[in-house]
Amino acid sequence: MEFAGRTTDTEKGSFTIFPQLCKGCGLCIKRCPVDCMSWSDVLGVYGTPSVEISQKCTSCGTCQTVCPDSAITIVRKKKVMH
Amino acid sequence: MTIEPVMPKCWRADTKPHKFCPGCGHGLVLKALGEAIDELDIQDRVVFGCDIGCSLLAWDFFNLDTVQTHHGRTIPVITGLKRANPGLVGVAYMGDGGGYAIGAQHLVSSAARGEKITAILVNNTQYGMTGGQMAPTTLPGQKTETSPYGRDPETTGTPTQGPEMVATITADGAYVARGTVFNVRQLKTFLKKALENQMAGRGYSFVEALSLCPTNWRTNAEETWNMVNKVMPEYFKVGELKVPAGMGGQ
Repeated sequence: MEFAGRTTDTEKGSFTIFPQLCKGCGLCIKRCPVDCMSWSDVLGVYGTPSVEISQKCTSCGTCQTVCPDSAITIVRKKKVMH
Repeated sequence: MTIEPVMPKCWRADTKPHKFCPGCGHGLVLKALGEAIDELDIQDRVVFGCDIGCSLLAWDFFNLDTVQTHHGRTIPVITGLKRANPGLVGVAYMGDGGGYAIGAQHLVSSAARGEKITAILVNNTQYGMTGGQMAPTTLPGQKTETSPYGRDPETTGTPTQGPEMVATITADGAYVARGTVFNVRQLKTFLKKALENQMAGRGYSFVEALSLCPTNWRTNAEETWNMVNKVMPEYFKVGELKVPAGMGGQ
């Protein structure tokens, strides 16, 4: 099954939310260590708000780990070695 | 590059979003279990048994052979499968109502016999599917549908401490731990060791997972995390209670 994601790019990587999987529980918002998450105008699978991030996101992946529905995917940018 | 949801390989993507409530801890326990199964590469020989209650909503969760039973009978069913075919990896998955109340005799008997299975019990301190009634694990003073003034230990006893009981009645070779969905990585480590202990044939493996139920606790996200991270561990200590010789501690 295809899930359509909404990707936000940040300095450290990208954050993708899949509204078809997000049930709007808000657990991720409260576990974010830099408090960069908030409710979105885009609704999730149950018609409740999904989530979005601000540019403060550090791509740590905590929200992905604590999401009971696997609705968040974090991709970290690879470090460029000089 | 298309970005996909990150799900364990043994999950069924076509049954997602799964049937559990928003914020339910089952999704996290089953994510930890799925990752443990993936890392051990045993998807082709795991039999997953779920019990009645909320845990039965996992019946189509995995791309694993799955059986659903009633009232704690998932333990004897998985025990039978494992005895008939010792090459299988049997996982009995249940809630605290099934495991500690109506199905407690199966948990006690199988632990005392030292069956070579892995039992996983999800503790959310009440009966979720029927609407949040008081369970054996309800904390003293906790309000539920059937304890509206808070649980009174004088008349209803104290919460059941399952892993402590199982650790006491099992023989050497058993692996007993209590994890929490607040720490999914640690929970995955415990589940992986419980599966490895069964595969090594050492003895009984039992993991209790402290879980979330915002629907019946009537909590918002902050209070939900506070309940599982601060309130529940005061009574239910998180950690490994029994580790077989030859297997390293945490």
